[in-house]
Amino acid sequence: MGQIRLEGLYKRFGVHEVLTDINLEVDEGELCVFVGPSGCGKSTLLRQISGLDQPSEGKVFIDGKDVTRVSAADRGLAMVFQSYALYPHMTVRQNLAFGLQNMKMPRAEIDRRIADVSRMLEIEPLIARRPGQLSGGQRQRVAIGRAIVRDPTAFLLDEPLSNLDAELRVSMRAELAALHARLGATMIYVTHDQIEAMTLADRIVVLRLGRIEQVAAPLDLFDRPVNRFVAGFIGAPSMNFLSVADAAPLLGGGTPDGVAIVGVRPQHLVRAEKGLELCATLVEALGTETVIHGTLASGARLLATVAGHLKVAPGDRLTLGANPEQLHFFNANDQRVDAIA
Amino acid sequence: MSFALANTIGAVFAAPVRWLAASIDAPLRLWQRLTGKGGMIAFFLMPNIIVFGTFVIIPLFINFAYSVTGGNELFLTDRSFVGTQHFDRLLTCDNHFDPSSCRDDLFWTAVWNTARFVVVQVTTIAIVAMGTALILNSKIPARGFWRAVFFFPVLLSPVVVGLIWRWILQRQGLLNFVMIEMDLTPVNWLIERDWAFVAAVGVSVWAHVGFYALILLAGLQAIPRDLYEAAEMDGTRPARVFFRITLPLLWPNLLVVIVLALIRAVQIFDEVYVLTGGGPGTSTLYLTQYIYEIGFASILRNPGLASAASLMMGGVLIVLTLGQLGLQRWRDRA
Ligand SMILES: Nc1ncnc2c1ncn2[C@@H]1O[C@H](COP(=O)(O)OP(=O)(O)OP(=O)(O)O)[C@@H](O)[C@H]1O
Ligand SMILES: [Mg+2]
Repeated sequence: MGQIRLEGLYKRFGVHEVLTDINLEVDEGELCVFVGPSGCGKSTLLRQISGLDQPSEGKVFIDGKDVTRVSAADRGLAMVFQSYALYPHMTVRQNLAFGLQNMKMPRAEIDRRIADVSRMLEIEPLIARRPGQLSGGQRQRVAIGRAIVRDPTAFLLDEPLSNLDAELRVSMRAELAALHARLGATMIYVTHDQIEAMTLADRIVVLRLGRIEQVAAPLDLFDRPVNRFVAGFIGAPSMNFLSVADAAPLLGGGTPDGVAIVGVRPQHLVRAEKGLELCATLVEALGTETVIHGTLASGARLLATVAGHLKVAPGDRLTLGANPEQLHFFNANDQRVDAIA
Repeated sequence: MSFALANTIGAVFAAPVRWLAASIDAPLRLWQRLTGKGGMIAFFLMPNIIVFGTFVIIPLFINFAYSVTGGNELFLTDRSFVGTQHFDRLLTCDNHFDPSSCRDDLFWTAVWNTARFVVVQVTTIAIVAMGTALILNSKIPARGFWRAVFFFPVLLSPVVVGLIWRWILQRQGLLNFVMIEMDLTPVNWLIERDWAFVAAVGVSVWAHVGFYALILLAGLQAIPRDLYEAAEMDGTRPARVFFRITLPLLWPNLLVVIVLALIRAVQIFDEVYVLTGGGPGTSTLYLTQYIYEIGFASILRNPGLASAASLMMGGVLIVLTLGQLGLQRWRDRA
């Protein structure tokens, strides 16, 4: 239960096309993450799946059944909103019970489920409070609890952690991962935080301007981005893109046909005997690593992240090399070109 | 360009202001030297204190003086002290629910008429304002236009409202004309007791409901959209959404609407006076009209009695206003 398939989905607001030809299959029990820059249509796509909104074209299937015209309530999905969307005038218990009462579930069953979920999420002491009396993290827990009590076929989460501070976000991220492992339910998770995407996802869907750019497991995405956009979007700091001429010192054995651009991640640059001649312009020492901003002789900018402390000052020259296997090649249309094996 | 223009215009308007400020500069300095900081505060408060005092505070005391003096003279010096005689007259009844058993049956008629009017009118306003706000908040075509349409009557002077509806409702008015054209029997809207009451309530609701609908509309728009989406995901039926989500979250606004409408309903006068003149008989005679007629309009005017009645009405209004202030404070804290 909980397999979701999208076929040829389009969404237009007036003349503005927000989603273009979305085809995607999310497997049962999978944690699928949608990432992409702000405004790329992540939330819109999630709303088409949830049934809060209707696609202009295309179909949504849940467990093989066409639910495109089925109302949100009857799709058996639960949604966690970025703003939590807890009912402010109800206690935590009433918030959890509200959806179950709509289903005319017997009282005893409602009580049992609320007890289970509040134990699982450790919100038992909060059960009589109102959302206004909770911290951000506690509210988030309750919002997730409200989704869990309904025992949905799949969970839809729209940037559930983006309102939390950095520290809490890290711990909630781990809890969410544990929760997914425990419930084994399908989850679709929207974020623009790529660390969240990389750590949580079974599979990542990268969106840009309403189109799917690539669907892949986190490390595949990192190792084999299909185009320059994905390569630049995944990984921080983002990948360096050099012309073939600039990158020549790194290209020992020549390049595959049609290569116009060579990509190398800042973390993959290391000090070497021979390679790129970099003139440092700015050095950021972060303790665990040192980030060096610099320019090549041609004037092209380059970023390198070197582990540990490095005694470099602006104006210094240094030579950086890279493992040829960690280079990425793109053609003039920004598409990936595979290295000759 | 436009910025330079604004500067020029500003300079033109600033010139007389600057001249005025310069001309009072010297006397103000002198005043400050003589009276210090407290004197300056008094100086700046003075315009308001004068206006408020002339038209509110002083009349309040004069009103009290009238209520304990007798006769139909207008100058206080010509009036004799009578103590609580007016209050006694107003309050003496065998049965307060039966105006004909009271010494001043007209007063109690007005009291009970007003009470009935307040209950029916405020309830109607609350319900109609709620319905209007809900409709204006939904995705209807030309929403801005409809919002304006419902608000326009609020901008009309009450006398104009009364006149418009008299033209529509009188025996040979617009409504009866239309009804005759449609082969219906015309009704004497303003002459039949029950219809006159309905007209009084209906017209005053029509005149004021836009204002209250606006308060509720603001409240509705403050309810986050995603609460409704969460409810939709939860499969909540529309009636339950209204009673479990919209109404509780709108309750503070609704309370404000009810209290404000109450305060205004107790003071109802102009629209109804122009519309029905209190008739037929005394069936739409309300407290303010009673006070006005006893104090100014009847041949045997009795300002003392009118003042006593107005003080009693003032007492009721003070209670309601305090109630509203209390509510507001409670709402700000919640
Ligand atoms: N109801 C709407 N009417 C018109 N345009 C809309 C509507 N909803 C979304 N859009 C547009 O669709 C595009 C995608 O919006 P969406 O909210 O899906 O982005 P997002 O990827 O979730 O961004 P973010 O990361 O900022 O949340 C945006 O350009 C937005 O302006
Ligand atoms: Mg979004």
